[in-house]
Amino acid sequence: MARCPFGTQRTRRFIPWASIAIPGAGWLLFGLYPSLATIGYSFTRYSGLPGTPLNFCGLCNYSAAFTSLSSVVGDAVRVTLVYVVGATVLQTAAGLGLALLLNRPGRSYAVYRAVIFMPQIFSVAVVGAIFALMFDPYSGPVQKVVNGLFGATSAFLGSSSLALPLVILVNVWMFSGYTMLIYIAGLRNIPPSVYEAAAMDGAGRLRVFRHVTWPLLAPATTVTVFLTAMGTLGEYALLMVLTGGNFGTKTLGLYMYQSAFGGDSQLGYGSMLAMLQFFLTVVIGGGLLFTLRRREISL
Amino acid sequence: MKAPSPVLERTDRGIARGSRPWAKAPTPSTKPAKAITTNVLCFAIAAVLFALPLVYMLLQAFKTYTGFLQNPTGMPDPWTVESFSTAWRQGDFGRQMINSLVYAVIPDTITLILGVFLAFPISRGYFKRSNALYTFFIFSGFLPGGLIPLFIEARTLHLYNSMAGYLILTSLSGAGFFFFVGYIKGIPREIDEAAALDGCGYVRFIFTIIMPQMKPALATFAVFGFVHAWNNLILPLVMLSDAALWPVTRGLYSFFGEYTQNWPLIAAGTFIVAAPILLLFVLLQRHLVEGVAGGAAFGAQGVTAAPTGVAKTGQGEGS
Repeated sequence: MARCPFGTQRTRRFIPWASIAIPGAGWLLFGLYPSLATIGYSFTRYSGLPGTPLNFCGLCNYSAAFTSLSSVVGDAVRVTLVYVVGATVLQTAAGLGLALLLNRPGRSYAVYRAVIFMPQIFSVAVVGAIFALMFDPYSGPVQKVVNGLFGATSAFLGSSSLALPLVILVNVWMFSGYTMLIYIAGLRNIPPSVYEAAAMDGAGRLRVFRHVTWPLLAPATTVTVFLTAMGTLGEYALLMVLTGGNFGTKTLGLYMYQSAFGGDSQLGYGSMLAMLQFFLTVVIGGGLLFTLRRREISL
Repeated sequence: MKAPSPVLERTDRGIARGSRPWAKAPTPSTKPAKAITTNVLCFAIAAVLFALPLVYMLLQAFKTYTGFLQNPTGMPDPWTVESFSTAWRQGDFGRQMINSLVYAVIPDTITLILGVFLAFPISRGYFKRSNALYTFFIFSGFLPGGLIPLFIEARTLHLYNSMAGYLILTSLSGAGFFFFVGYIKGIPREIDEAAALDGCGYVRFIFTIIMPQMKPALATFAVFGFVHAWNNLILPLVMLSDAALWPVTRGLYSFFGEYTQNWPLIAAGTFIVAAPILLLFVLLQRHLVEGVAGGAAFGAQGVTAAPTGVAKTGQGEGS
């Protein structure tokens, strides 16, 4: 513990505490407390209407989730897992491919990188509107192209078989630029001497990638897979704008939002769903960190 | 596709003059024909896959509604800017734009300052368990999402559906301080001792000595914080029921539901909402894009992020 050099003999003990008082209190009040209170509210039937009691009911929400309403919650868990796995795999692949293509010197490549990075600076409300137009079944350009190519029409975001893959694609479109940049940072950290040694040994481009580039990108893969998985696990605003959770796109997060704020104001039940999402986060996040880190070491 | 504006190109020449850490990277561009093919391929990816949806959206805004109905996927005929003024009026985007600015600038500034005041004593280890405190702060980000209790709390404290309340909520809940902790560790302690000996007060020291030293970190955080606050849709949906208090994102969400199928109008509204962020991006794209690539977003500005360093701080970012 270091001594604070500021202030007089009398005040120097209190200066560090005064410094963190306001942001610390804010964090306790609006950060830590709401997080922990979710646990408490998940054991209630609280409706949030002014004047109504908390209606503590033990495990009622959890038992409801696992029995009578199991199909809804089960579906939400399944959709969440598909969404997380699909978006993480595709985004990592897309980001890696883009990084390998675009990690070149030159002004034009800097512009391309900027354009590919750009989508994620927009609000989900903006991205949602853009792709609602692109996939509009009546007047959208995608419908026209698909119709011209295959002579078929589709409801796209209104189709229960296509909606989930499409929102995954929109998510990948929005964020693969970020993954690309993480991989580019990783690529720039690989010393050229490694490539020279590989070239000396007569390794072809595919072998160089498989045995040199990919293993040395392991830390970048750890970061991007972990961040993407955690990000998509908690994401629901984009889904809300694109499909409203209809057509098989209701993730746990969106289900939580809709049960709490979608008119029913089942705040207790919503809190329980937030807890389920938390359990998923811990299991997936912990599992990912463990395997990705071990992979990094063993490579 | 003509996304790169003069500004973009100018800042880009700036990069070209500066150091290029990747210039020595082994890129197989010895054969000019092959290099051109790669360049064209990259251009096609950037233009068709990433820029085209935006450009297409923008084009719709220049159509009249009947023009759109007659030829939804063609070029505007006749061209008109009427949708922009109609959308601006009917969507009340003028008022919302001001709201958005307030909701973005004020919390961004306050969290920035409070973040430094929170980070400095922890970074310097003035508390008995500064490191434990730091770890706890970071891991608290992995606790269950607190949106529902935050809503209940906001109503109890009369912060619900009020501009001041929304500002208090967002100014104080904003994390990001751990972004600064590592950075402050890089500022030598001797400065503290010297300043204290000269009789410099704590607050003055933070504002006049520490914060100027942290300029790159503060700038990056300010930009990302601004963009994040401007784009936020969920919190305004939950906390602000009164349409007069809405930011542009919330307004666009309703506008979108109200004028379904009137795509020229929606496109104009969408572009109005996206324009300030787009402008910011064009002005600062070098900072944002190459900043992330260099690890600036992880608080490792100026450090050629060592692989493990990126991994560690990267995880912090995810919390």
